Amino acid sequence: MLMWIALLTVIVMLGAAVAVLTLENYLAAVVAASVVSLGLSVLFTLLQAPDVALAEAAVGAGLSSVIFALALRRMELWKIK
Amino acid sequence: MSSLELIALFFMALALFARLLRLLIGPTVPDRVVAADILATITTVALVWIAHKFANPIYLDIALVYGVLAFVSVVVIARVIEG
Repeated sequence: MLMWIALLTVIVMLGAAVAVLTLENYLAAVVAASVVSLGLSVLFTLLQAPDVALAEAAVGAGLSSVIFALALRRMELWKIK
Repeated sequence: MSSLELIALFFMALALFARLLRLLIGPTVPDRVVAADILATITTVALVWIAHKFANPIYLDIALVYGVLAFVSVVVIARVIEG
């Protein structure tokens, strides 16, 4: 059953990674990249590495998306379409 | 593995695919932000379920950190959209 959860997570990660590559809007790409790191954290948990998953959750979900969003705001690159 | 657990996992997978579809085809940015937030919520539930399956309470910390940080990141992105 854990293998099915890994399969679902990998499908979500693949869809979000394709979205990161194809989206024109930078802010939407940042959101999709945070979804990719979310799936990576679940995969680390399934591989029984809780410390790596904790670091990935802290850096990937929290820090990197916040820094990217604030940088986009500073550089005036964000827009709502 | 009870059948109730199986039904819950089935509906969680259904919600996951619905949100992934909204993340891919969502016409505006706020649609995608809300889709990512709900994906984070579903993932937190999945992490708690994994901690229950592994019978190890250290995995609950990941769900806790993830829930707090996903909220903070969505708030910051909403602040950026606000202008």
